[in-house]
Amino acid sequence: MSAKWYLGTGAQNDVVINTSVHLARNIREFPFPARLTLPEKLNVNSVIKNASDSIGDYSFNYYEMKTLSQAEVVSLAERHLVSPEFASSRDGRALLLTEDEAVSIMLNEEDHIRCQVMYAGFALDEAYRTASNIDRKLSQKLEFAFDDKLGYLTQDPTALGTGMKASVVLHLPALVTTSQITKLITTVSKLGLSLRGSYGEGAAAKGDMFRLSNTITLGISEKAAIENLKSIALQIAAQERAAREEIFKAPVTEDRIFRAYGVLKYARLLDTNEFMDLISLVRLGAVKGLIKMECAQIEALMIHMQPATISLSVDRPLDRAERDKLRAMLVRKALI
Amino acid sequence: MICQNCNKNEANMHMKRIINGRAGEVHLCSDCARSLGYGEAFSGFGLGLGDFFGELLSKESKSNTGLVCPGCGKTFDEVLSDGKMGCAECYGVYYDKLLPSLRRIHGKSTYVGSRPVSHQESDVSEALNQLKSKLAVAIEAQNFELAAQLRDEINNILSKRGDN
Repeated sequence: MSAKWYLGTGAQNDVVINTSVHLARNIREFPFPARLTLPEKLNVNSVIKNASDSIGDYSFNYYEMKTLSQAEVVSLAERHLVSPEFASSRDGRALLLTEDEAVSIMLNEEDHIRCQVMYAGFALDEAYRTASNIDRKLSQKLEFAFDDKLGYLTQDPTALGTGMKASVVLHLPALVTTSQITKLITTVSKLGLSLRGSYGEGAAAKGDMFRLSNTITLGISEKAAIENLKSIALQIAAQERAAREEIFKAPVTEDRIFRAYGVLKYARLLDTNEFMDLISLVRLGAVKGLIKMECAQIEALMIHMQPATISLSVDRPLDRAERDKLRAMLVRKALI
Repeated sequence: MICQNCNKNEANMHMKRIINGRAGEVHLCSDCARSLGYGEAFSGFGLGLGDFFGELLSKESKSNTGLVCPGCGKTFDEVLSDGKMGCAECYGVYYDKLLPSLRRIHGKSTYVGSRPVSHQESDVSEALNQLKSKLAVAIEAQNFELAAQLRDEINNILSKRGDN
């Protein structure tokens, strides 16, 4: 298995976990996925698969979702390689995935093509460049549904235009602790962006992980949308750093971090929520230099400890109690 | 402004509502807004909101149903009910009905951004368009020296393209 994207160390990684850019595309000659029968979907899959062979710089593994187990599909969603919606129904859907998992192309999700590029850290320009490069190569082989006035046409009219959704995942423990996050969510929504939990929804985001994304896709170019996102993300990161300065003035912060580390190091049972809360504190401590752990190692642990992904590591279905036990054991090992 | 409900936090949700013809204003902090159920009204904005879109649309255009897309057979009523378009051709058929709602969601409704290879203008025509808009600006500013220079450049490109 080759190294995954999240094992790298990205820019601004004290706050920014990863960056992703999605492009939604449809092939003009076929109705959108919701209007396709199963054989028609399979045909669309093979048309796109053939076209993907021409993307010289990347080699993709092709998976029919039907051939994967439920745990494997859910694990793909936990690793943010496919959407939860995509994982919920496997019929007629397929995935093109590079070995390093940086590029994933969902076939027959909401649209015929949902191409995602994901990099560690703050890398909006790089991610967009890669996505746009793949898009250009596909558009040489496939006639995309496009209109001069409306842009790329999508099944859901609220996504049309550029069909681009760019996101950065931010670790915001200090803004959560200082109760600034709700206000921030409201402010950001007025700027044509959304800020929501990356694991779990809303203000109760697990692990203090938040996803900042653009919402407007018509009347604004990809470049302008990315510049906008970039500038807001950097401002939020600066606010988070300032809030961290503040909370570290109180000794209780350091105490919470070492207690979290202690529990993770010695617990015999760990459920996902508790693990996410504690690892968030440990990450804060690691960034501050209190705890000797690499951020990339923490990110990998967060991904590997999700319920379906953890079950994959033992090749048999686990019940909740078995999972919590295994999780505690693996975390103990990782923290030595 | 302070939240009208808890009288503690800063109000960051401001609403005007009209009940039985009487207008009133509500100012709440986000916690109170959520606990009073106002949060729900705003949770729907953004991507992937078929229901919300269908609802928006239906207000516009209940009057003229019975349209069918010749490309995929999806009726306008079906688009209203699930908020999804059936195929690329649907956009042509339902364009006029969609436009007001698209404006409301995205603000602007004219596309700017990248284009697929098949819709790209050649570099030459792009350069030509740029020169033409510069020319218009120069004439507007009564900078005739620059305008003459730009006109020569445009003619130059046009004659070259004629030769090909």
